[in-house]
Amino acid sequence: MLTVQSLSVEYGLVQVLWDVSLDVPNGSIVCVIGPNGSGKSTVLKGICGLVPSRRGRITFDGQDLSNVPCEELVAMGISVVLERRKLFVGMTVRENLEMGAYHRSHRTHMRERLAFVESLFPLLAERRAQLAGKLSGGEQQMVAIARGLMSSPRLLMLDEPFLGLTPKMVNVVASLMRVINKSGVAILFNEQNVELALELSSSGYVLEGGRVAIAGSSANLLRSDHVRSIYLGE
Amino acid sequence: MNLSASLVLEQVVNGVVTGTIYALVGAGLTLVYGTMRVLNFAHGEFFMLGGYVMLLTIAVIANPTAGILVAAVIVFCVAAAVQRFLLRQTHRNADATFAPIALTLGVSVVLQSGALLVFGETYQSINYFVEGTLRIGDFRIAWQRILIVIVGLGLIAILAGFLRFTMLGKAIRATAQDPDAARAVGVPIGLVHTLVFGISGALAAISAALVSPLFAVSPWMGTTLTIKGFIVTVLGGLGSFPGSIMAGIIIGVAESITVMLTASEWREPFSLLLLLFVLLLRPQGLMGAPWSRVT
Repeated sequence: MLTVQSLSVEYGLVQVLWDVSLDVPNGSIVCVIGPNGSGKSTVLKGICGLVPSRRGRITFDGQDLSNVPCEELVAMGISVVLERRKLFVGMTVRENLEMGAYHRSHRTHMRERLAFVESLFPLLAERRAQLAGKLSGGEQQMVAIARGLMSSPRLLMLDEPFLGLTPKMVNVVASLMRVINKSGVAILFNEQNVELALELSSSGYVLEGGRVAIAGSSANLLRSDHVRSIYLGE
Repeated sequence: MNLSASLVLEQVVNGVVTGTIYALVGAGLTLVYGTMRVLNFAHGEFFMLGGYVMLLTIAVIANPTAGILVAAVIVFCVAAAVQRFLLRQTHRNADATFAPIALTLGVSVVLQSGALLVFGETYQSINYFVEGTLRIGDFRIAWQRILIVIVGLGLIAILAGFLRFTMLGKAIRATAQDPDAARAVGVPIGLVHTLVFGISGALAAISAALVSPLFAVSPWMGTTLTIKGFIVTVLGGLGSFPGSIMAGIIIGVAESITVMLTASEWREPFSLLLLLFVLLLRPQGLMGAPWSRVT
């Protein structure tokens, strides 16, 4: 579905990613893991064109994304939930959700999507008139994911979905990701907690210093010596 | 000095009239600053351009409504073009903080000198749209002034409703609050920037058209207004739309009371003093940027 070949990203003179290649098959959950500063977020930002300059080849269902600006991805079926939620904090929960279906092709289905998303996140229906900025971190993450689902994406990209959440909320968000995936949406996410990420995903990419150090099915990665010794402290 | 109650009331109401214009000018500046973090030093010249378009339209068809509409449309296009073809180039370089300032200053100089070349240095004025004066006892105010307040406040209400309830208005607010997230949900922020610049220009033009019977139209009519606009914007809280409306009216009323109690040359120093005073107590301005990018 999504294929990334030799993605390199530079911020000014600093190169952050070197030749990163990855593959997200239809209906899968794929994670990008690695230590702080290894470029995990840059992989996601690079895919959606939110970086100053990138090289490499990115295709989605065979369509080349190299020259597609971020704001047009959503029309192609890719939805991005950026790091730290990136909500419209001065707007209500409902307005944030509406913005998720901003694109012309999605507005006609706004009502059904709102009903669907609010059935998935009943809390958001209760909080619909509240300002998004006034919610707790976990609630904000729900708004962000719900907003990402408003455009009926086939691929959902989540940048650090568990960042700053309480352990209880981490479980809630993780099980929501499973539910969303079961409904046929492929998920690409990055996460620092390697064990959590690998248990949730079907395959993973370990990023170190801006390069893919090791990749494979999540089950294999959990068993590999590299992951066990460095990330699981065994 | 004889300060009768009706004289004081007259001055306060006159302050509300100028305040409405300040509010419109401040709202335009704050809309632009809020959505694209650009201080538009050419805003006063968009105002001036609006004055001239009004003057020319009125000369052809003697209909103020037509004049206001034509001024709004033409200055909308000029402002949108300035954003699209000039200002947008400076956004390419992320750390170019001063480029937009230099650019809008340049546009301001070009427009002002252009107006001087084309229209000359004469001060021109047009007739009141509505004749007559409202009298309640000793209290008197020209209907023209009341019209300015009604149209101005009506316009602000329409703009607020547009920002609050339409999808396009929501897209503008979303772009202001988080441009990356706005792009991620599919908002073409480049177009939003152009649109906002155009709307801001149109607001300035409508204000100028409204006051053209009171203030003479000249190439310099926008200069002090840009400064006043920035005072209003900062006083209200940078990027806060309701803040700039409130600050506009406050400055307008405060100025006219100052002029009544002292002399007209104290008008400018006083609004600056008021700004300094408020910033000492509330550095974020009156309404402190509720929809800014800073969370």
